[in-house]
Amino acid sequence: MDDTPTPVAPPPTPAHLEFKASMLLLALLLLVAGAGLYLSYARGAFERTQQLVLIADDSEGVSVGMDMTFAGFPIGRVRGIELAPDGNARILVDVPVKDAHWLRESSVFAIQRGVVGNTNIRAYSGILTDPPLPEGAVRTVLRGDATAEIPRLMAEARQLLQNLSTISASDSALSTSLANMQGFTDKLKGPGGALGALVGNDADAQKLITTLDRTNTLLARLDGLASRADTQLFGGDGLVRDARTTVTQLNAVLLDARTSLTRVDDVLKEAKAVGENARVATTDLGALRADVESSLRQVDGLINELNRKWPFKRDTELKLP
Amino acid sequence: MASLRDLHDSLGDLGRSGVRWSLGFSVSWWHVVYLGALVLVLALSPSTYSRANRAALARHIVLGSAPILPWFAMLSALVSVVLIRIVIVTAVSYGLSQYALEMVIRVLVLELIPLTAALFVALRSTVPSGAELTAMHARGAFARADADPLRFELLPRVVAGIVAVLLLAAVSCALALVLTYAALYGFSIAGLQGFTRTLGQIFNPAVALILVLKTLFFSIAVALIPVAAFLRGPQAAQTRAAGVRNSPELESLVRLFAAILVIEVVSLMSNYY
Repeated sequence: MDDTPTPVAPPPTPAHLEFKASMLLLALLLLVAGAGLYLSYARGAFERTQQLVLIADDSEGVSVGMDMTFAGFPIGRVRGIELAPDGNARILVDVPVKDAHWLRESSVFAIQRGVVGNTNIRAYSGILTDPPLPEGAVRTVLRGDATAEIPRLMAEARQLLQNLSTISASDSALSTSLANMQGFTDKLKGPGGALGALVGNDADAQKLITTLDRTNTLLARLDGLASRADTQLFGGDGLVRDARTTVTQLNAVLLDARTSLTRVDDVLKEAKAVGENARVATTDLGALRADVESSLRQVDGLINELNRKWPFKRDTELKLP
Repeated sequence: MASLRDLHDSLGDLGRSGVRWSLGFSVSWWHVVYLGALVLVLALSPSTYSRANRAALARHIVLGSAPILPWFAMLSALVSVVLIRIVIVTAVSYGLSQYALEMVIRVLVLELIPLTAALFVALRSTVPSGAELTAMHARGAFARADADPLRFELLPRVVAGIVAVLLLAAVSCALALVLTYAALYGFSIAGLQGFTRTLGQIFNPAVALILVLKTLFFSIAVALIPVAAFLRGPQAAQTRAAGVRNSPELESLVRLFAAILVIEVVSLMSNYY
């Protein structure tokens, strides 16, 4: 047995080998170079850009490479995020020069975070006739955060639910009121009706009804009484007729009285004249009295003189023991 | 006594085989590195590109890539279409269609296609090529005085392996991008700007560099490891008759899978950590 290995025939060589190999290598080279160029273009390596700096107090959710949109169209790309010395985040955005005309001096920038965690940087230009945004402009960014509202909303909702559960608890005021209301309506439906519900129990309601009945009876009797009184007052022999007669008589009496008074008036006039005379007499009496007093003083002086001159002069001075 | 001696012998065999295995493991990896250095030196020396050698290089490049390229492109396009469809339909059903494109590209272009291209080339091209080289060595084909196996056989096979992996990965990635665009926007160029912009966002410099390095290391591993069995000498081929356990193809395949796994894990860690 021959031990030496038999030479194996090489596989058939394809035609135009070197050309095919060159084509394969060229294709590989083209693919790699094309991919590199395309990705560079996709990352904006071939467009002139101007820089915009957005200042935010929180850059959470913002990542390098994300878009800044204007009316839904991407017009810029985040190139870097850095922390400024004052603690704010500086978001560096590259805006292609061909899109920069959408940004004006009065443009507003906002970071909006959705509920599922996606974050967007949006630009709003209200007045497109304003001067364009200069290169390297620094703007403060607003935050419109859908999730930031959630904790506050949750706290308020929890408070509301607590209040609701307090209101609807079995021993709450509302529940007690409703139970009372139910009792009230039950009484309304009961034999006493609304009256029973108002006074509280059936016995009192019965009393009230009895009182009403008796009041009715009393009113009937009062009616009879009133008709009788009417007869007595305004009847043919009624009190009113008598009173009218009495009044006529009284008029006559009054006439007489007036006459008498006229007479009395005259008498009084006489008396007034008498009074005047008496006053004159009284004046004369005053003069008389003055004269009498003068005479008496003179008599008194005379007596005192006599007493001084009289030998039996008495010591009139009183001495205390 | 006899049984004790048997036990002693078998334990000794086990220990010796463990030492031999670890020794062989280290030596085989050393062979890979050594071969890589050899190939690099050869590839950089101008004398390699003589006319005869250029023909051998061209032949291996064409035979290593051209027959498998259409098949692989077709298969990967088919799988890509299915995956793209699944991802888009799922994303739309969750209302997250804006993330569908990014997910498709991350899954297909960044992860799956380079890996499958490397495995496909290994199974269809470089492992058989390495086995063939070992067989030729065993037959004494390189024993002739005028033979220059390193320059005429080894270097072309390694270069062909590298080119094959890169070519397959590049073609399939381009195909997957086109299919993704077509699945998302249909056959219209209206969405091209948004598509380009999203691609630009995904392929930031770090991700692009990791993709390039990963594919490159895949191709080097796939091209070098099966061929490196050749350096173990003719006895490797002769012992292949002893059983499957010692088959050099299987050993190189296992080593290759380990290397690919390590590269993939490292790339994933650098991408997502």
